[in-house]
Amino acid sequence: MIKRKALTALTLICLLIGIVLTGCSSEGSSGDGSASGGKIHLKFMHDWPKGSSPAYFNLVNEIIKDFEDKHKNVKIDVEVLNPDQYRDKIKVLGASNELPDVGLTWSNGFAKPFATGGQFTPLNDIIDKDFKDQFVPGTVESYTFDGKSYALPMEMNITYIFYNKEIFKKYHIDVPKTFDELKQAGEVLKKNGVIPATVGSKDGWPASMWFMYLADRIGGPTILTDVINGKVKMTDPAIVKAAQEVQNLVDDGFFVKGNTALSNDEAKGYFLNEKAAMFLTATWELPNFTTSPDTSKAFKEKVGYFKFPLYEGGKGTDINSYVGGPGLGVFVAENSKHKDVAKDFATYLVKEWGKRSVEKAGILPATKVNTDGLKNVHPMYLDVLKDINEASNVTTWFDTQASPNVSELHHDMMTALFGKQVTPEEFAQKQADALAKEAKK
Amino acid sequence: MNQMETAKVDMPSTPVLPAPKRIKSTALKKAGMGLLYIVLIAIAILQIYPLIWLFELSLKTNQEVFGMSPFALPKHPQWSNYVDAWTSGNIKSYFFNSVWYTIVAVVLTLILASFVTFALTRMQWKLKGFILALFMAAYMIPLHSTLIPLFNIFNHAHLINNPLSIIISYVTFNLPITVMILLGFYKSLPREIEEAAIMDGCSVHRLFFRITLPMTAPVLSTAAIINMIYNWNEFVFVNTFINSEKWKTLTVGVNNFVGQYLTDWGAIGATLVISILPILIAYIFLSDRIIEGLAAGSVKG
Amino acid sequence: MKTVMSKKSVIALYVLPSLILVLILIYIPIVLSGYYGLTDWNGVGKMKFIGLDNYITLIHDKLFWTSTWHSILLGLFSVLSLIGYLIVSLILASKLRGSNLLRKIYIIPMLLSSVAIAQLWVKIYDPNNGMINSILTSLGVEHTPLWLADPKIALYAIFLPIVWQYAGFYIIILYAALINVPEELIEAARIDGANAFQIAYKIKIPLISGVLKVLVILAVVGSLKYFDLIYVMTGGGPGHASEVMASYMYKEAFGKFNFGYGSAIGFGLLVISMAATWLIQKFLKTKSDD
Repeated sequence: MIKRKALTALTLICLLIGIVLTGCSSEGSSGDGSASGGKIHLKFMHDWPKGSSPAYFNLVNEIIKDFEDKHKNVKIDVEVLNPDQYRDKIKVLGASNELPDVGLTWSNGFAKPFATGGQFTPLNDIIDKDFKDQFVPGTVESYTFDGKSYALPMEMNITYIFYNKEIFKKYHIDVPKTFDELKQAGEVLKKNGVIPATVGSKDGWPASMWFMYLADRIGGPTILTDVINGKVKMTDPAIVKAAQEVQNLVDDGFFVKGNTALSNDEAKGYFLNEKAAMFLTATWELPNFTTSPDTSKAFKEKVGYFKFPLYEGGKGTDINSYVGGPGLGVFVAENSKHKDVAKDFATYLVKEWGKRSVEKAGILPATKVNTDGLKNVHPMYLDVLKDINEASNVTTWFDTQASPNVSELHHDMMTALFGKQVTPEEFAQKQADALAKEAKK
Repeated sequence: MNQMETAKVDMPSTPVLPAPKRIKSTALKKAGMGLLYIVLIAIAILQIYPLIWLFELSLKTNQEVFGMSPFALPKHPQWSNYVDAWTSGNIKSYFFNSVWYTIVAVVLTLILASFVTFALTRMQWKLKGFILALFMAAYMIPLHSTLIPLFNIFNHAHLINNPLSIIISYVTFNLPITVMILLGFYKSLPREIEEAAIMDGCSVHRLFFRITLPMTAPVLSTAAIINMIYNWNEFVFVNTFINSEKWKTLTVGVNNFVGQYLTDWGAIGATLVISILPILIAYIFLSDRIIEGLAAGSVKG
Repeated sequence: MKTVMSKKSVIALYVLPSLILVLILIYIPIVLSGYYGLTDWNGVGKMKFIGLDNYITLIHDKLFWTSTWHSILLGLFSVLSLIGYLIVSLILASKLRGSNLLRKIYIIPMLLSSVAIAQLWVKIYDPNNGMINSILTSLGVEHTPLWLADPKIALYAIFLPIVWQYAGFYIIILYAALINVPEELIEAARIDGANAFQIAYKIKIPLISGVLKVLVILAVVGSLKYFDLIYVMTGGGPGHASEVMASYMYKEAFGKFNFGYGSAIGFGLLVISMAATWLIQKFLKTKSDD
């Protein structure tokens, strides 16, 4: 009895090992980004999974297919990961010098180690030749280090306060033009049992949008960039005041309760379910408020947006100054075996993306969009595109501009500021220290 | 016998309770049992609730998931979430991969861990303590410390994008904990039978396969369940070492619905429900083996 | 007998395959991460050897010690929770009617992936419409706690789902150990007039002491390197209030590109785990160990 059992166990193991070994031997063709069967294989990684970002996913696939049709000798091997895993994997690949031929990178602090570490290839030739005057000003700069540009920007987002028009109407609230009016609106909403604004300050970056706009409005449009460049100290009175105003809003009960434990997604739920009247976020949410089948039609009709109000007595006097920035850009790996083909593909991808993304996916590209040619587009897109053209300034998000070290600290400090774990002075001082330490290096 | 003695040394002696009177005790006993069952069933409800919650989640829209009470039933059950889950990736090949990676890894882990534990507890050799310490310390390294070096090793061995890298990782990283679980049991198993078998001239291999392995069936089933669950839900290794869709596993199906600005929780719920069914069935099946295994083992013993 | 059981070839055959795997896939990374800890490395660019600087910084890093303390607390809670699981397992393993079904149900949460568990508990703790606060509000509590958003509570609030998540793991092992206890011993004790408590205390528990000891080590070490739910539910926040060693390490290495310092934290974690294991073994030393 036992003997038979032992025998079956052994046979089973041998069988399984057999499966494993055959499994490996059948593998190997799709491994390297090298030529096989006469075709050039390019590895391309992106972070728009079909499940969460179907519009992006389909558009990319469409462009890839068109590229393959035009270049019969090229096959693009795509790998898709969700953003969290993409971030981790690209770092592991970078550490082993095994980046895909073409991939996506976030701007500034994220891209810098790869660019200066010689892993991304400079793309100035393409940008000068194929994209002359085509990118929205300020986008390419976010991928530029020591005079060389390392990625072709794909996205451009700016930040607005989105609001529920119906709630505002019900309580006779006008769109606030000044910060005081915004606070008053908050008071009215609170009195009527509506959460004035929702924010996912667990994540840090959504909370930071409030701080960044207040810094812009109080200290002027260049103050945050000046802090990064060391021209102005983080402990500047204007910055401290901005932080103070954020905390005043918290004290006033302006934000949803317990927001330091809410992620951006969770916070967004309060806005989508009409429990909160305002949500400060960027234009990547536009599909959610206009075309997405996941949100109800009735809700979509209620969504409006307004520009962040001006601060009376502040240096930032232009309401057309925005906080925003590019999201992802396309890089080409320095040690790609087919760098020219990879560059061609990257160029084609970004060009076609610029032509098709607004209509097909509701995404604002970093290339300039000709609004005349747009049909079947939600009016909100036209308004936003107009705003971008008229923008006097777009300050790239502070946390994006900062090094990863300072960025993480900034996120922590934002959460702590919203959670009242730090005073505005400590908030500024800690970041000033980190920036100073970095400047010394 | 050893353990009985140590127990007396280690445990503080308890005052022996006076034997309760017969008549009172039956009524008390019944009340006590009733109370016990109430508590046990309450715990059971708590433990089974997550499954029900997950099922509800799988039928909700994102709008319902956030901001609404999490315990409200979905207003219009979104069966389309299941369609999304089923069609958004190669779920069939993910599924097949999950199954065979898990089975192969579990079987290899159990057999290798049994070998090691047997050698550590039954055989006489000098480096025993050292080797045991090596296995124990291997359990202590945080996963993320190993990723970059592991990627490099597999890369040099040309095992990136090869299922072998996943299976080897599963086996290796589960070996320490499996050895430790087995160790506790091996130490408490009576050695008389094995000693007798040796006296009868039984070889070590026969002793191991014929006597020791069957005797440890309950713990092997237990370790199999634990290993199975770990491997089934693992995704860091798969995402790091595998590039092509064709070798990815079911956990990827879940991650498919996580996006930078939008995460489709309803579809994640649906994917999780789909992926939990096979493991639930396997678990129930293996769980019964714990008892049957015991019966078989003790009869032979 | 001694000669048969000390055959070198057999020992090598049984131990070497596993040992080689562990040495290559776990020990090479351990050594390498110890080495990375000696460098200033952003993971992508050039590695700069800086000697013990990272380790010196680590010793003076308040945040590291805070996160270590949190991890140790989690370890203590896990060990305490073992008592509860032991009681449940004792009940399940005694010939109670329906215990087979109950045991199967009790282990269900373990089957769920961390993604699901995190979502569930985030919803339970939601300060506005979560389960706990809904109940508290209906009971007339005015200032309901913020749970995960409150730095004073967050750490303990997050222990609960972690400990609960592992209930199945411990129960299933304890159960298997308990049903392995020879029936004759229990019968003999019963004939001698011992009641259920005495049988559990004097016979069952001592007989599974080997397993218990392993479980204590697993609980402590598992807690010291614990990562999943903390990272998903609070991200170590608010303001590091629920930071543990592994989440701190991950944030440094993968969040901030400080692979050198991150590796040093990982190595510190390893050393602390080894020290803890050594202490436990010393503390739980029994004669049965050879």
